[in-house]
Amino acid sequence: MKNNIQLALIVLLLASAGFGAAIYKNQMLGFSFIPEKKDTVWTIETKITFKADGGPVSVSLNLPSNSKELCAVSVSNISPGYESRIKNGRFTWKKDNAKGLQEIFYSTKVFRKNRSDSTTLAGPFKTVEPLFEGALKAAATNITKTTAPGLTTATESAVALLKKLTHNNGGEAALLMANAKDRGGAVYLARDLLLFSGIQAQVVKGLFIDSDRHNKKLDGYIVIMDRDNQVLLNPRTSTPEKLDIFLIWQQGDESLLEVTGGSGSEISFSTLAEIVPSRKSIIANAKREKAMLVDFSIYSLPVSAQNTFKLLLLIPIGAFIIVVLRNLVGITTTGTFMPVLIALVFLHTKLLPGVTLFVIVVSLGLVVRSYLSHLNLLLVPRISAVLVFVIIIYVAISVISIKTGFKQGLQVTFFPMIIISWTIERMSIIWEEEGPRDVFIQSGGTLFAATIICMAMENKYIGHLTYSFPELLLVVLAVIILIGSYSGFRLTELRRFEPMIRK
Amino acid sequence: MFIASPFRLRKSGIVGMNQRNVVLIAQNNPRRLYPLADNKLKTKELLEKAGIATPSLLGSIHSQAHIRELESFLSHHNAFVMKPAKGSGGKGILVIKKRTGKQFIKSSGSIITSTDIKRHASNTLSGLFSLGGNNDVVMLEEMVNFSDHFDGYSYQGIPDIRIIVYKGFPILAMTRLSTKVSDGKANLHQGAVGVGIDITSGDSLRAIQYGRPVLNHPDTGKDLTGFSVPEWNRFTELASRCYEITGLGYLGVDIVLDAEKGPQILELNARPGLAIQIASGVGLQSRIDRIEKVLETNAGPQFETALERCAFTASEF
Repeated sequence: MKNNIQLALIVLLLASAGFGAAIYKNQMLGFSFIPEKKDTVWTIETKITFKADGGPVSVSLNLPSNSKELCAVSVSNISPGYESRIKNGRFTWKKDNAKGLQEIFYSTKVFRKNRSDSTTLAGPFKTVEPLFEGALKAAATNITKTTAPGLTTATESAVALLKKLTHNNGGEAALLMANAKDRGGAVYLARDLLLFSGIQAQVVKGLFIDSDRHNKKLDGYIVIMDRDNQVLLNPRTSTPEKLDIFLIWQQGDESLLEVTGGSGSEISFSTLAEIVPSRKSIIANAKREKAMLVDFSIYSLPVSAQNTFKLLLLIPIGAFIIVVLRNLVGITTTGTFMPVLIALVFLHTKLLPGVTLFVIVVSLGLVVRSYLSHLNLLLVPRISAVLVFVIIIYVAISVISIKTGFKQGLQVTFFPMIIISWTIERMSIIWEEEGPRDVFIQSGGTLFAATIICMAMENKYIGHLTYSFPELLLVVLAVIILIGSYSGFRLTELRRFEPMIRK
Repeated sequence: MFIASPFRLRKSGIVGMNQRNVVLIAQNNPRRLYPLADNKLKTKELLEKAGIATPSLLGSIHSQAHIRELESFLSHHNAFVMKPAKGSGGKGILVIKKRTGKQFIKSSGSIITSTDIKRHASNTLSGLFSLGGNNDVVMLEEMVNFSDHFDGYSYQGIPDIRIIVYKGFPILAMTRLSTKVSDGKANLHQGAVGVGIDITSGDSLRAIQYGRPVLNHPDTGKDLTGFSVPEWNRFTELASRCYEITGLGYLGVDIVLDAEKGPQILELNARPGLAIQIASGVGLQSRIDRIEKVLETNAGPQFETALERCAFTASEF
C-alpha cells in the first residue's frame, strides 16, 4: 500500500511538472501546441576550425549571396576572444594572439522571399574568353560542336555538353578531363567549355537547404543564363537542379575562406529547417528576456546538436509505444527495443523498402544459419559467422539492386549489422526450440511494432510536440511508470483465456 | 465471442501475465532466490540436504581439466543422465541407459563411445546448451527408472507433473502430454495436450488441446479422463516442502514418478507460466485469495509443516 502511494505521488509530480511547464510555455511565452506551416526558416551554422600559429590571426569568410528566392541574414557568431565585423560582403575575425586549435561558429538565418522580388545573382558573369590551346582547342571545338544540332535552348545544350564530358567515352572528353586539374577541377573545366560554346556560365558553391544536413562541405555547381533565366546545373549528374532551394555561398573567383596566421583550416556547414517561424522569434524573444525555461534548454545548443536532439527526443516515444504494445496489448517482439532500432532505420529508408529489405536480409540469414546449426559451433564464433554472412548478404543485395536498377536496395547498409546478426541468431533458436510458428509471430510482432513506431516518429504533430515541448517527456515517463505497475489483463490475454469462461 | 470481458476473467480469478510479474513473482520471489531454482546444481544440493526425493547427484564437472577424470569416474556407473546446470528447454540432456564394455547406449538406442561423452561434457561446459552461452557446469545424476503407469499417455517421452505451490500450499496441478503436432514437445501452444489434475485427488479434471476439450490422446488414442496420479499425497507433500527450502512464494515444481522410489523432484521453476490455468480450467487468483484469507485470519503455527498445508489444501479445494 505504501508503495502504491509513493508511486502515485511520483506519477502525479512528473505529470504536473511536465504539463505545467508545457502550459506555461504555451500561455506565457507563446509556444504553439500545433505546428503552423506558414513559412520556413533555415538556420545554417558554419563551423571554421584551424590551427593558429601563435601570432596575430585573421579569418575572413565570404558571405552568402542573396538570390531571387532566398535571403540570408547573419545572426550570431561564437568566437571567443575575436573581434569581428562585416565588410565588403565578407565576415572577418581578428585576434592579436592565438595558439592551438581554434573554433569559430557562425550562424546565418535564411528566409524565403516573396517571389515577385527580382534580385538576380550578385556580381556580373565572367565574360572572358576561356583559353584552350593546341590539341585542347581542337578537342573543345569538337566536343562543343557535336552536341549542338537539334538542341534549341541553352539549358539543353549545356546538359548535353555536361553529359558528354562526364560519361568520358570520347577521346576528347578524356583529353579535356586530364587538363581539368590546371583549371581548378572538373567543375571549372565544364564552366570553361560552356563559355567556349557561347553559353554564359558561372561556377557557384553553395548548399541545398531543403533537408537537414550535418557537417556538410560546399559542392560546386554551375549557373548558366538561358535567355533571361538563370539555371542551376549539377555537373556531376548533368541535370538541372532547383535554384530556389540553393543558397549560393560563393561564386566566380571569390575565395570562400581566408586564414592568415594559421594552418589546416576546415569549414563545414550544418542546416536545420524549421517549420514554425513564429517559434523562432518566440525563442529569440524569450532568450532576450532570459526566460529560464528557454535559456537553459536545448535551444541554447549549437544547431548541429539540436539536429541530433530532434531525433533523440523521439526515442522515448518509441520506448513508450513498446511498453504499450508489450504490456497492454501483449504483442511479442524479438528483443525488447529491437523495434525502435528498426524504426530508426525505416526513417532513413522509408517504410515499404525498409520492411522489404528487413524481411529479405533476415530470411536469407536464417537459411544460412540453419546450415551453421548442424556444425554445433559455440556461441560467439557462431554469431561472428552469421555476422560475416550478413555483410555478404548486404553486398549481394546492393550489387544486385544496382544491376537491376532498384536504387533502394543500397539502403540495406542502414541496418545495424550486429543487431541483425543477433536477431537472426535469436530467431533461429526460436525456430529450433519453438518451431516456425513462433518465429513468424515474433518477427511479425517486431515488424508491426517497428512500423507503428516509425509512423509515430514521422508524425508532424508528435515531432513538433517533442521538439518544442521536451518537458512533455516527463509526462511520457509518468505514463510509463504507471503502466509498469499495471497488473490487469493484456488485450491478447482476453483472447487467450477466453476458452476458460466459455459455456 | 472471441474476446472475453476482462471483468469476467477477473471474476473467475484468472491471473494475467502482468499480474503474474508485478504481483505473484515480484512480491513473493526475491530476485536473490532465483538461482535456487534456475541453477539445477544448487536445487539438487538443497533437495538432498533436506532429504527430499530427487534423482541423486552422482557428480559434477566444473572445469575442462576435470573431463580427463570422467572416464574412470563413469566406470562405476552403468546408467546415468548428463545435463547442464543452467540449461534451457531440455537442451543438452544426455541419457545413458546402459553400457556394454566400452560402448554406451543412449535412451534412443543409439550407441556412443566415451569420446563422444567427453565431447558432450566439454560442449556443455563452454555453454553450448545454456542460456546466453555462458560457461556452465555439467551435472551427472542417476537415471530415473520411469514407472509404466503413464504409458500411452504421451506421444514421446514420459510426462512429468507440474504443481504450483503458493506460499507452501499446492494450489494447481497439471501434466503436459506431447503429441505428433507438437513435435514431441510439451508446449501447449504448439499443440501438446494439457491435462488439469485435481489438487486434492490427483485425478484428471479435463484435457485440452489448442484451448478445446479433448477426451482421447490424438495420437495414442488413450482415454484421458482415466488419467490419474497414484500416491497423490506424496506428490503434493514433496512439492509443498520445496517452499521451506527455497523460500520462493510462487513456485512451480516438476515431479516424475520412479517405478521403485516413487515421486522424485526433477526441477523447480521460479517463474512458472499461466498455461496451468487453461489446462485445469481454474483461475490461480481464486485459490490464492482463499489461502490469503486463511493466512490472515489464523496465521499461526498450524501451517508450519508441509503435511498440514497439504491437508488444508485437500479439504479446502
